[in-house]
Amino acid sequence: MKVLMLGWEFPPYFAGGVGMVCYHLTRALCQQGVDITYVMPFGPTMVRSDYMKILIADNLFPRLRLQLKEVPTLLGAYTSESSYEHDFKQYLMSSSPGGRTKALYGPNVFQEALLFAEKVKLIAQLEDFDVIHAHDHWTFPAAVAAKKATGKPLVVHVHITEFDKTGGNGVDQRIYDMERQGMEAADLVIVVSNFIKNRLMQNYGVPEWKIRVVYNAAEPTTDLNDYTCKIKETDKVVLFIGRVTLQKGPDYFVEAAKKVLHFDPNVKFVLAGTGDMLPRLIERAAQLGMADRFIFPGFVNRDEVMRLNKIADVFVMPSVSEPFGLVPLEAMAQETPAIISKQSGVSEVLEHVLKVDFWDVNDIANKILAVLHYGALNNQLKQHGLVEVRNMTWDKPASSCVTIYGELLRMKR
Amino acid sequence: MVAVCFYFQVHQPFRLRKYSIFDIGQNSDYFDEKKNSEIIRKVASKCYLPTNKILLDLIKNNDGKFKVSFSISGVALEQFERYAPEVLHSFRELAKTGCVEFLNETYFHSLSYLFDKEEFSQQVKMHRDKIKDLFGQEAKAFRNTELVYNNELANFVQGMGYNAIVAEGADHILGWRSPNFIYTPKAVGSMKLLLKNYRLSDDIAFRFSNKGWSEHPLSVEKYASWISDVNGNGNVVNLFMDYETFGEHQWEDTGIFEFLKRLPAEVMKNPDNSFVTISEAATLYPSVAEMDMHSFVSWADVERDLSAWLGNPLQNSAARELYKLGRLVKATDDKALISDWRKLTTSDHFYYMCIKWFSDGDVHKYFNPYDSPYEGFISFMNALNDIAIRVREIANKDVSVFNHVKALTLVTEQGTSMSQGKVCESPAEKLYETIMNDPESFMSKINSSKADDSDSLFDQK
Repeated sequence: MKVLMLGWEFPPYFAGGVGMVCYHLTRALCQQGVDITYVMPFGPTMVRSDYMKILIADNLFPRLRLQLKEVPTLLGAYTSESSYEHDFKQYLMSSSPGGRTKALYGPNVFQEALLFAEKVKLIAQLEDFDVIHAHDHWTFPAAVAAKKATGKPLVVHVHITEFDKTGGNGVDQRIYDMERQGMEAADLVIVVSNFIKNRLMQNYGVPEWKIRVVYNAAEPTTDLNDYTCKIKETDKVVLFIGRVTLQKGPDYFVEAAKKVLHFDPNVKFVLAGTGDMLPRLIERAAQLGMADRFIFPGFVNRDEVMRLNKIADVFVMPSVSEPFGLVPLEAMAQETPAIISKQSGVSEVLEHVLKVDFWDVNDIANKILAVLHYGALNNQLKQHGLVEVRNMTWDKPASSCVTIYGELLRMKR
Repeated sequence: MVAVCFYFQVHQPFRLRKYSIFDIGQNSDYFDEKKNSEIIRKVASKCYLPTNKILLDLIKNNDGKFKVSFSISGVALEQFERYAPEVLHSFRELAKTGCVEFLNETYFHSLSYLFDKEEFSQQVKMHRDKIKDLFGQEAKAFRNTELVYNNELANFVQGMGYNAIVAEGADHILGWRSPNFIYTPKAVGSMKLLLKNYRLSDDIAFRFSNKGWSEHPLSVEKYASWISDVNGNGNVVNLFMDYETFGEHQWEDTGIFEFLKRLPAEVMKNPDNSFVTISEAATLYPSVAEMDMHSFVSWADVERDLSAWLGNPLQNSAARELYKLGRLVKATDDKALISDWRKLTTSDHFYYMCIKWFSDGDVHKYFNPYDSPYEGFISFMNALNDIAIRVREIANKDVSVFNHVKALTLVTEQGTSMSQGKVCESPAEKLYETIMNDPESFMSKINSSKADDSDSLFDQK
């Protein structure tokens, strides 16, 4: 089975969870004997060189039978028009000292996607493959072009939609159209949860028969054993990790903290991540008299995420809208009980977690306190959560994809 | 000669509502009045009323030859009184026929025998009084919650004046022996032990509507022939099952009501067959052997042991803390408080905390009013914490109660509480601590939490 896979990001440089998903999924697919040609646009200049160097140095991809093709672009996972313009300026400023301007494909991100499509159309005609598998909407024009040029079947993989990012307010019509055209042109659509499946049926008019749910899996992590830190001597630690934006519900975390502290003052809250809501939340925490109870470490890297997960007594993901949600899995892998929003895809698969409605601040606080104070509950969630996460391996979604590729080929006949 | 002995279990717990930590010390409405009343009314119309009507007709049309036995938990009776008195009325009609026996059990359908034998005796006595009061019967036969049974329990129950008891006919106990005879519990003297024929019982209770079962659809002729086959190889076929089998677990459209209506006549076509109640079977047939059941056996799940209720640390910890509080609660002499505590002893609360996900886990999920076992545990522990506070408040007002509680704490093993806040893992131990140390600060904590709860997200927006 040969697959032409289109994606916009890939580790070690990636903006959201989708880059990691692409990495683990392609790796597991290769192990199951699938030949993948992964085509992605360039990242911004400052990313590009490092990115390529690491790929070449690592020599990881030939072994995994994964070829990497690159096409220059400024696209990023969470690019909005304004942040694109920012990147664009950076890109221009970083031009090589010889004065030679780097090739640019267009004045804005939408045009970029169309130019990416032109490139991919050419690549598709040169490459040998059976099916096209495209991740997220920026690659959809390219995917549609590749399908038109070759007549090969197409599956698009939806990790998130414009509705989830914006909370339904201020949906960008052009992004919506791009998403919808990709879904319509596709022979099948992979979604990461029933949560997204319902979204596609309700907001994008995708018929149910066309949708396949493939849940993500957990990333294998190393155990930090008994790593601990100074705060733990006096306080218990409640943790939030994620972009500090409306979608992730960090404001509900802050409000729940107030209620927790009323019952138990010896708790510290760590709100890790950055985003447009951060200044407001720091102010809010101070306003509620919790300045000394809150730690805002800002952006945290992979290693710091692991350490935070290890020291935390409970992890909270109060997302307003979470198509899947990989972060609680990382906490559970470090034996930290997780409280997750019912408005998340991952809540469809996890049993050994506590589930809350994101808006129910009382219930979030109730459950934080229960985990902190009922030892039997704490142990049970730790032990069973760890086992549950260890069983969520990437070969499961990979074999689902292989089955779907088979379906695509049969549909074509 | 083979007699069919039907015993139906009727039980409905007082389900807990989602009782949060923020309810502790604020209100003591632990039980979900709305959900409980809805369920009682729903099951009444789907099962209790139509099935009672069928049984009444069968008894009348068979000149007293058709007989059945019931065990109805006290908490179910209480809810009938409250939410569906017509159900109680229809059971009374059945009692009047003289063909229906009512067994005794623990009033609260509890596992109290395992934790507190004094409490067990009190709950059995409450149930005995209730049954006598409602149906005019002095029960001589006993069934323990979920058929939890062993030698020692039989001995204890015989000491309370019962001369027959029922248990699960589990394969690992019976071995080559048949459940279709009457036995005597080991070293218990004259008491009779009736064992459930789980194959024939489960054919009705679990497999009746299973289209994947090779005997589906089950006709009365076929079933009656299986009963007749026991002739020459047994005295009594014990068909023990949840009464909710009729109309609730097996819906009306499966044909379960028609099956029940036609079964007695079909069984009695064979003149060697008859129907008996539990006590009649115990009187009619001699014991063929002593039955040694040293370990606890129940009728639940594939394991037929206690693991459905006491199989994981959540369940064990919740049960331990519940019974630890018991003596302190009773020391207050406060009727409402004692009644609330006793409603928490109902075994269903522990069943909801089961996390055996596979095979039987599905059955657990079906009966579980919570989204997950963890939800059940949290509400239960929160309610226990509130009960501890109520004990404390009563003790604070009444010197004699205070001294009584204090006396109990002195003879109780002291432990450390996990929490510095007001919720804790072991409410009983927390209570010991606070009652021994400074009651004032404890009370002020409760009171201050009442005053300052307005700063919610919704007030801000």
